[in-house]
Amino acid sequence: MKKQKVLVTTYTNENLDQIKAFFVEKTGCVPANITVQSWFSFLLQEGVRPYQNHMTERGRIGSIFFIENAKDSHKLRNKLRYIAESDDGHYLTKKNYIYDDKVSKFICKCNEQSKGLVIKRLENIYSSIFIDELQDFAGYDLDLLEVLFNSKINIAAVGDPRQATYSTNKASKNKQYSRSNIFSWLKEVESKNEIIIEEQNESQRCNQYICDFADKLFPDLPPTVSKNKCLTGHDGIFYLQNNEVNDYISTYNNPVILRYSIKTNTLGFPAINIGVSKGRTYERVLIFPTQPMLEYLKTGDPSKAGDRSKLYVAVTRAKYSAAFVVDDKSLTKSNFSTI
Amino acid sequence: MIKKIFIQNYKIFNRFDLDLHNDLNILVGDNEVGKSTILEAVNLALTKRLNGKFIEYELTPYLFNKQCANDYLQSIKRGEPKPLPEIIIELYLEDNSELESLKGSMNTKKENCIGIKLEIVFDESYKEDYEDLIKKTDDITLIPAEYYKIQWFGFDNNPINIRSLPLRLSYIDATTIRLQSGTDYYLQDIIKTDLDAKERVALSVAYRKLKEIFSQQESIKEINKNLTTKKGAITDKDLSISIDISQKSNWETNLIPHLDDLPFQLIGDGEQNALKIMLALERKAVKSNIILIEEPENHLSFSSMNTLITKIREKCEGKQIIISTHSTYVLNKLGLENLILLYNNKTTTLKNLPNDTQKYFKILPGYDTLRLVLAKKAILVEGPSDELVVQKAYKTKHDKLPIDNGVDTISVRGLSFTRFLDIAKELEKDVVVVTDNDGDYENIDKKYKPYTDSSDKIKICRSNNNSAPTLEPQLTACNKLEVLNKILDKSFQDEESVRDYMKKNKTECALKIFETEESIIFPDYIEDAIR
Repeated sequence: MKKQKVLVTTYTNENLDQIKAFFVEKTGCVPANITVQSWFSFLLQEGVRPYQNHMTERGRIGSIFFIENAKDSHKLRNKLRYIAESDDGHYLTKKNYIYDDKVSKFICKCNEQSKGLVIKRLENIYSSIFIDELQDFAGYDLDLLEVLFNSKINIAAVGDPRQATYSTNKASKNKQYSRSNIFSWLKEVESKNEIIIEEQNESQRCNQYICDFADKLFPDLPPTVSKNKCLTGHDGIFYLQNNEVNDYISTYNNPVILRYSIKTNTLGFPAINIGVSKGRTYERVLIFPTQPMLEYLKTGDPSKAGDRSKLYVAVTRAKYSAAFVVDDKSLTKSNFSTI
Repeated sequence: MIKKIFIQNYKIFNRFDLDLHNDLNILVGDNEVGKSTILEAVNLALTKRLNGKFIEYELTPYLFNKQCANDYLQSIKRGEPKPLPEIIIELYLEDNSELESLKGSMNTKKENCIGIKLEIVFDESYKEDYEDLIKKTDDITLIPAEYYKIQWFGFDNNPINIRSLPLRLSYIDATTIRLQSGTDYYLQDIIKTDLDAKERVALSVAYRKLKEIFSQQESIKEINKNLTTKKGAITDKDLSISIDISQKSNWETNLIPHLDDLPFQLIGDGEQNALKIMLALERKAVKSNIILIEEPENHLSFSSMNTLITKIREKCEGKQIIISTHSTYVLNKLGLENLILLYNNKTTTLKNLPNDTQKYFKILPGYDTLRLVLAKKAILVEGPSDELVVQKAYKTKHDKLPIDNGVDTISVRGLSFTRFLDIAKELEKDVVVVTDNDGDYENIDKKYKPYTDSSDKIKICRSNNNSAPTLEPQLTACNKLEVLNKILDKSFQDEESVRDYMKKNKTECALKIFETEESIIFPDYIEDAIR
């Protein structure tokens, strides 16, 4: 039997690398019938280009223009709001790049204009598409996903609404569903019988202490049950003062140090951005929290935690323990205290 | 398999469309009508190679169609520059699930189709340089090819990774045998793809070992020791010789196939060709196997050609073959139904001809059809005696036989002039028909009116003297009795008996006329035909 062709796609390059690494680890290489491709690269190559002449007379669309990277991104966004859909400048820069927040819109319209050729072609290429980190999808991506759900292709998408740290674009379309609210969009699609939602509220990675701590960030979502029953003698959430960090690192065998961004002061210790750590598993982590995170740790009020997805991701990287460097007497009564 | 080829602004082709058969395609046409260019273009679009090298290295102004180049250069001179012309070659392929990723509508016809396109277009990054250049209009006499880039995309407008495609192309050009170092590119490719992975590895390992053994040889060690002493003049480094074992040099470039222990290059051109064609035909079948053969008749003896053609016929199943030829023999052997006639930037197949004419040529696929196709100009006559007399008339007037001027005299069996005229009309061939008037020249004119009306290249020559309905009475009417007696070596007493004799011995008399030294007068309609 002919091997079926499969696409595995996700938004961030970090995650893409992890997926590739997974295949290499399991089988030595990515099998020939499996394509691992970033969401944007897939959109451009298989969505935008093959039938672009149904949308514009212009030449080949070269690449994607990320508005965020423009000099005056705010102004540009405003300006674009006033270019009509009928004008291809709505989608394309002068140099024939396509705006990142219009890619999926372009594909949806192009599919309509060509009477479904875009999707038909994809159906002939791929039997299944696997999407990872679904919570990152936003704007017209959701419309395109719905079209894909209704195609002959089997779609399996996984995501964690609590980990919505990125967004594929900032289009105003479907804004009400952005980030952790993607769950309500999925519910709506499910009610049209286009998909089936399977909730998995189990964690293979984190122990129950970590799950409980993380769940409190999203009180509206169902609680998580840990499948990691392994105890090490230092399990759960801990608080440290600055002067304890050195000792802690050597005592607990170099936990992975996480920071919000490169601007975070990590006392000179080499650290990884929380965003980059997404999808990874570590034994133990040591987190340098932001001011809002600190506020949350003190008050327990999720609305004060700032970017709570980032905090959620940081904590849930660890199998056994997550320690915060807080330098605040009220939290750190004793050495390496647990909650 | 290739369904359709589109070529724009490449060499002789301005805009050119060609539909292909799924199996065998025989391209026939005059010299310089672009048979080779079509094969070259297909090869270029499928491999990105021209003359065995990547097109980037072979990009010259001369690849551009002359007419489009002139239009452009004229516009520069006038100071109203037109955009730089672009070369486009598009191959429209049959539906094939393995090539689905090449599907899209990004082709000149906006057709949703699997396909490959190669475009030679202006590189926008040179915009400023180019704008400077055209300000000094005197400097441009050729297309500035250095400002161009190559784009090689599928109809999905994404770059092509041809290695991953289940497409095989073999290009056998018998007119020029290209051999670079060692085995030539196509031959290499054929051998390589015919070996399985294990065999390839074994071959590479054996080759590497050979290189090692070479440097271990006592004599080589000695030589290298001597060479080491030569240092100092240019460099202080040790000089030695060894076989190149870098990645660049592998067995493909250094091993040469042998045939009966003769190195491939030393085999005659014809055999080299035949071998290459055979190898290509024997290749493991993949989904799409395309074989281009340029003039297989070249350098081959008649008997080897016969073997080769038979082989092509046997082995072509499941492969698409495009063959160009000048040989009536090749065409006749491979079948007229596969014929594609090339003429004036246009093509035609038998499909374009009226149904009954198609049938006629399928039943009677003589050489004569192709003679018409290949001739610069043709004179169609009614039978062997007319043929001889017309040739004689031509020779008398031009001091040469018509064929020496590219004019073919074709004797048409069974009075099927109109069949031939259908082809002539389609090909816009210069054709003269020499016909009897059968006692009613107006009827003849009426019969051919549809052809003479639709083409000014078709000319009908018949006598308007209804009292001499065929050739023989025409000849007796315009020549004196004693002249005819002399030519025929007879002594007839009157015109009637010589006419009867000639009618009964048509061919014999025509031969005598053809061979005679006597001066003879030809009827006006024949003189008209050979003018």
